[in-house]
Amino acid sequence: MIDTFLSVLRISLKAIMANKMRAALTSLGIVIGVAAVITMLAVGSGTQQNMNDRFSRFGTNTLYLRQPWNLDESITSPKDITMDDVRAVRNVDGVVAAAPYISSDFSVKYGITSTSIDVLATDTDIFKVYDWQFESGRPFTEREVDTYAQVAVLGATVAETIFNDIDPLGKTVIFDDIPFTVIGIIKKSGQGGWGFDMDEGTLIPYTTGKVKMNTGWSSQDRRALDRVIIRVKDINTIENTKEAISNAVRNTHRIHPLGEDDFQLDDMASWIEEAKAASKTMSILLGIIGAVSLLVGGIGVMNIMLVSVTERTREIGIRMAIGATSADIRLQFLAEAVTLSCIGGIIGVLIGVGISLFIEAHATNIPAQLNIFSIFVSFGFSAATGIFFGYYPAYKASKLTPIDALRYE
Amino acid sequence: MSLIETTDLYKTYTIGDVSVHALQGVSVSIERGEFVAVMGPSGSGKSTFMNILGCLDKPTSGKYILDGIDVTATELSKLAGVRNRKIGFVFQGFNLISRTTALENVELPMVYNHTPAKERKEKALEALKAVGLEQRAYHMPNQLSGGQQQRVAIARSLVCDAPIIFADEPTGNLDTKMSIEVMELFTRLNKEMGKTIILITHEPDIAEYAGRLITFRDGKKVSDEVKK
Ligand SMILES: Nc1ncnc2c1ncn2[C@@H]1O[C@H](COP(=O)(O)OP(=O)(O)OP(=O)(O)O)[C@@H](O)[C@H]1O
Ligand SMILES: [Mg+2]
Repeated sequence: MIDTFLSVLRISLKAIMANKMRAALTSLGIVIGVAAVITMLAVGSGTQQNMNDRFSRFGTNTLYLRQPWNLDESITSPKDITMDDVRAVRNVDGVVAAAPYISSDFSVKYGITSTSIDVLATDTDIFKVYDWQFESGRPFTEREVDTYAQVAVLGATVAETIFNDIDPLGKTVIFDDIPFTVIGIIKKSGQGGWGFDMDEGTLIPYTTGKVKMNTGWSSQDRRALDRVIIRVKDINTIENTKEAISNAVRNTHRIHPLGEDDFQLDDMASWIEEAKAASKTMSILLGIIGAVSLLVGGIGVMNIMLVSVTERTREIGIRMAIGATSADIRLQFLAEAVTLSCIGGIIGVLIGVGISLFIEAHATNIPAQLNIFSIFVSFGFSAATGIFFGYYPAYKASKLTPIDALRYE
Repeated sequence: MSLIETTDLYKTYTIGDVSVHALQGVSVSIERGEFVAVMGPSGSGKSTFMNILGCLDKPTSGKYILDGIDVTATELSKLAGVRNRKIGFVFQGFNLISRTTALENVELPMVYNHTPAKERKEKALEALKAVGLEQRAYHMPNQLSGGQQQRVAIARSLVCDAPIIFADEPTGNLDTKMSIEVMELFTRLNKEMGKTIILITHEPDIAEYAGRLITFRDGKKVSDEVKK
């Protein structure tokens, strides 16, 4: 058995080696196909990994309560999200914390430095929603929130930009003409993330923001919040918790039991599902590209095998005359096609792995993650291509009659 | 029972409207151990006859029994085993596989009957020795002279211990000296190993080596004589 396999393999390799250039050109399609598939799958799974990381950093146990973006016609005037909602949500079972969230850009001044930053007006619950570490100083207190204190907690990057080497603690910065005292700096996380990036942002009490800031928020309804960020205790019971939160908010909004919600509650899990669906679409697309390259490569293999069968008709006749069965001949040409495409596959794998590793190491803006599974799959596909496209030429060879093959000029 | 027994073999080729009657009722019987020469003018059907005997082709009609097997009742594709075990071929054009060593060429019939590699090599070397080419085992066909190539082909026809060797003008491409070498080899195989040899030739000198001479003309056997 192994014996037969080895001699078939040897015959195949010999036949391929006899026409190195032709073999190289033929397998090029498969080389490119396999290399492309591996690279693209690596970039695909890298992108997905990257997305998952971002989500998990942002927290899959957080929910957003906000007004719906696309208003249903039946809801004529959705009620604002207010602190009443925040308080109602805090009382819901399974909710750890709920923080008001109003964000806007402000210009900030310290001495002669002036820049624009993302200011988030919130309350003390924000420190329970996120697990931020303090570089120095402290979070603001409930008392400070209640008394409209002009205090600010800065993100690490912001602190660096404004203060350079100076210790910012206790310094006064001007947001839109209103002075704030810096009471804390949050450690750099370097995470970026979806929605609010603490490294680049600043926190102030929402009361202060609502009442004292002249531009930005004061022009809106004094009670309205952008949204509420909610942290739930247990991700596994998030559906129940969401339902309880919905009921609480419907209550404060006095919605009729048969009426539609006039707010929206998003969780990261559902965003992840969406993102996964998107990346699945991408995978399907990559699959199609890979399939097309392999198809083209396969047609190349078929073409060259047909040429090879014709060229070697006499050889087929000789083999049949000395006792090769049709099955032997078929096996030989099939093995040759598979060997050819597998050589292409191996080279393609090497090139694909090389490119993926290079991207992984050097291209910081394209995430790539080499996937062992994709190596086997694409190699398997190249072998399958050989079988599929090699079958017809092999079949044709096996159907020759010995005398016709021997007589062939 | 004869080793080879044909009754009324006909072979007609039809190309378009033209029918060529290559064989027109040939009945021959050949015993084990005979050395038969087949002669006749060009186009008289000698090769056609031999290809049918060698199970490479089928007659249009007639019956052919080879060592008790009714070959005419069997599909060609089922006869690979018969060709492998019972028949060895030697062709005018040598028909070795190029870019493949003499040894591998000789091993090839045993590849198709799944002889283990080690035994294959031993037997192939033995066969090469029998034709006096053990020194050339690792040469490629294009590194050998015509006579040497033909001897490799003969070694290949011996290696599966087939009782019959068919040779279609084996000396046709060889000069006199090489022809003598090859014919002496055939004689030895016939005398010492008891091989049944059927050989087509145009040269009376070559036919001299055989013990029986069959002559063809226009697809018919016109004479069949045994030498004393
Ligand atoms: N495949 C074929 N198709 C059509 N006609 C054929 C075919 N093979 C042989 N013939 C014809 O059959 C006849 C006998 O041919 P064959 O090859 O048997 O002759 P031969 O006696 O071997 O001649 P030579 O001594 O020249 O080799 C010839 O007329 C030839 O043209
Ligand atoms: Mg002839």
